[in-house]
Amino acid sequence: MSKSNTENTKRWRITRRGFLIGAGAAAGSVALGVAFGLPVLRIKVAGMLENATIPSNAPKEPSAWFEILADSRIRLFVTKAEMGQGVHTALAQFAAEELEIGLADLEVTQASTEQGFRDSTGTSGSGSVSGMSEPLRQAAATLREMLKAQAATQLNQPVASLVVFGRGIQVKNDGGRRVEFAALAATQRQWMQQVPKESVALKKPSEFKIIGAPVSRIDIPDKVTGRAIYGYDARAEGMLYGTVLRPPTLGATLKSVDSAEAEKISGVVRIVRDGEFVGAVARTRAAAQTAVSTMQAQWNESKPLQQADIDALVTVGPDAGAQIQRIGDAAAVLDAQTNGSITAEYRTPMAIQTPMEPQAALADVRADKATIWASTQSPDLVRRRVADAIGFKPEQVEVITTYLGGGFGRKSDTEAAAEAALLSKAAGAPVHVGWTRSEELRYGYVRPPTHHVLRARLDADGRIAAFEHRQASGDVLFALLPKVATTIAGGILGADFGATRGAMLRYDVPNVSTIAWRRSLPVRTGPWRGLGALPNAFALESFIDELATTAGADPLTFRLRHLPDNDWGRRMTAVLRAAAEASNWGSAPPSGRARGIACATDVDTVVAQVAEVSVDAQGKIRVHHVTAAMDCGLVVNPDGARAQVEGNVMWGVGSTLIEEAHIENGRFAAANFDGYPLLTLKDAPIVNAILVKSDDKIRGAGEPAIAPVAAAIGNAVFALTGKRLRNLPFTPERVLAA
Amino acid sequence: MELTINGVKRTVSAPESRLLLHVLREDLEMTGTKFGCGAGICGACTVMVDGVATRSCITPISTLAEKSITTIEGLADGERLHPVQQAFIDAQVPQCGWCMSGQIMTAAAFLASNASPSGDDISEAMSNNYCRCGCYHRIRIAVAAAARTSAANEVQS
Ligand code: FES
Ligand code: FES
Repeated sequence: MSKSNTENTKRWRITRRGFLIGAGAAAGSVALGVAFGLPVLRIKVAGMLENATIPSNAPKEPSAWFEILADSRIRLFVTKAEMGQGVHTALAQFAAEELEIGLADLEVTQASTEQGFRDSTGTSGSGSVSGMSEPLRQAAATLREMLKAQAATQLNQPVASLVVFGRGIQVKNDGGRRVEFAALAATQRQWMQQVPKESVALKKPSEFKIIGAPVSRIDIPDKVTGRAIYGYDARAEGMLYGTVLRPPTLGATLKSVDSAEAEKISGVVRIVRDGEFVGAVARTRAAAQTAVSTMQAQWNESKPLQQADIDALVTVGPDAGAQIQRIGDAAAVLDAQTNGSITAEYRTPMAIQTPMEPQAALADVRADKATIWASTQSPDLVRRRVADAIGFKPEQVEVITTYLGGGFGRKSDTEAAAEAALLSKAAGAPVHVGWTRSEELRYGYVRPPTHHVLRARLDADGRIAAFEHRQASGDVLFALLPKVATTIAGGILGADFGATRGAMLRYDVPNVSTIAWRRSLPVRTGPWRGLGALPNAFALESFIDELATTAGADPLTFRLRHLPDNDWGRRMTAVLRAAAEASNWGSAPPSGRARGIACATDVDTVVAQVAEVSVDAQGKIRVHHVTAAMDCGLVVNPDGARAQVEGNVMWGVGSTLIEEAHIENGRFAAANFDGYPLLTLKDAPIVNAILVKSDDKIRGAGEPAIAPVAAAIGNAVFALTGKRLRNLPFTPERVLAA
Repeated sequence: MELTINGVKRTVSAPESRLLLHVLREDLEMTGTKFGCGAGICGACTVMVDGVATRSCITPISTLAEKSITTIEGLADGERLHPVQQAFIDAQVPQCGWCMSGQIMTAAAFLASNASPSGDDISEAMSNNYCRCGCYHRIRIAVAAAARTSAANEVQS
């Protein structure tokens, strides 16, 4: 690692844990102000986390980002993982824009943990593009000016007379006096260290030529020819395959194992045992798997967990929850007279991310250095996990992120990396671990189940006078944090800020209360596309629809009437109107169909959707159309943003109609896709994705559109059948029973 | 035994019960064909065997003597992409891309058997391939577009 990289690392090192602890420190000082007790603080911190994307810790120095290549192209090192969200293209757009070069003159290279800077945020929370905009553009603009300064010396021309043209720098309108980037490359290591004192002015959005243009994604050509390399595809000379012995039920611990038979399987190279960890290394994956399934293992198992045990744990109250939003005094208004108040309960089940590419990593562990190729959203975390597993220092571990065959939060942790490292260390050869679909469905972490209890009262004019959302959820983000941070953050927040994402009411209501309960569950729970966005919006936006019905108002009008007179309100009005107009809201739908509307805010992005559905005699819901209007401010790649909306809608439809993970006799019931089916093309709606732009701020686009899907569908089913569905998924049995 | 893959005869020393997917990915290092479920459900591993879309994860190589296997690596005609590949680029279909080899092979085999499919035909043919990223909207568009270009190419030649 170069000196400048080390310095960068120091200066910009704000780990997520540091961020939380930072929030804690700030909280402490505010708390000293006496007037504020913990509850108020909690509301402030929760509000801050809800509105902000996690800040990026990226350096602005060009040397951490760029390398000038021999053919005068410029290489951009990116730390963010490409998992289909188009982040490599978006980041290339930022760099090319400020460098004033074409996209084709830029080569995007995935940085390993030893190149570039330490990106401890990883790729998550829809924050990669918005968080990288400033630092990367700053770095690129700085590099442009440094290139010009170098060229000015070589050409003996004033800097002001020079422009970037093609892959070089020249005197404006004078190709005769020109220097190619390559001619400046030889000394790049030196001059890139001399960063100018003043920061270079960035272009104004009105000057953008590449940012905001509908460019083709740079990763797509390799994805239609089979050339793209993912973690599951990583190969190395002399590589072997590893498989890990898994417990038969959750929480079971190993008593003993007899691997004598396993060792005899043809192709098996070594059986590895390291405490609880047992695995097989073989010349083929099939042989390693056969070896593991042949092992005779005895387990300590406690009474097997059942689904009902989990359901019972995920309930709001009666203990005190964490107040995360408070306006006026909702409880007082609601408790004053119970008649006239409306109550409903909603539930969402566990669900599994199950990206199409399961967990995968290749590890090559040598005496004092480990190299890991992994499909991971969090290379920095993988580095620590691997170091811990094999007794190395993190600096001895290099993590190279490959393309990801989907992430969706499941690859925020990458267990396969440490497993491969343990096996590689023992076998003395590179070992690849690729999970089966069964492992993926049974041994990962899942979207936590949630329970929502809502109460509200309408005033005489049919306006909401008081609104209360009480929500319980298993952990989402805390699940990945070190214990110490969890304790501190848990102490301040009381609730997991991933689970409460989207839990707060955005409407203009004089009395609002949102209370969250953190429930620790005996199954691993963790991030999932949009975190709490879909469960919370499902409860809130379905309930708002119930209130509209009670008020006798059109669901769209009712929402518009309750929007606040501020930026949120204006942006939500715009997306609601856009979605309504494009879906012909207000005109009669085709016979046998009905429409439902819902909206949500997530990572500072607002989104509204109209779903058009029908229900057949067997109770099967068909979602024909989804019109989705999203305002994520300035869009870097409009076609890419629309693709994200489409993908989120599909994911949301699957979650609404099909997906549910069950525990049965101590483990997740589904062993493959036959037990956990996904949405298929036949049942996929036609999606009309509309981008609305309220201002020039760049905001997250990778997840927000998932939020309103379930509520929009539920509201449409209600409009069609008069049946209110309050439990996900909306299976035919539930539809018929409602 | 000998396998013909993308027009090239390859000798593999694996036992005949070994599955084609593993031979491709592990023995021949042709990783364009993907693993998704290993049970014939998701379609990620789809290749063509004598032009028919086939799930390589459940196909032992013993069944493949004398047959012609086409994988995603061999679908293009040299530098010229297959119309389905081109249509998938034009419509910017792939997100993560993991399912895409299977989607494209399924579509290519389907269009070879049905040159002018209806929307419902496309839905039916493409509904046994999972895409977790949810690219279904664009898959429909791209397969329909590929059908049109294939038809146009027919007329020209
Ligand atoms: S991997 Fe073959 S069908 Fe899923
Ligand atoms: S593109 Fe990711 S699974 Fe289809």
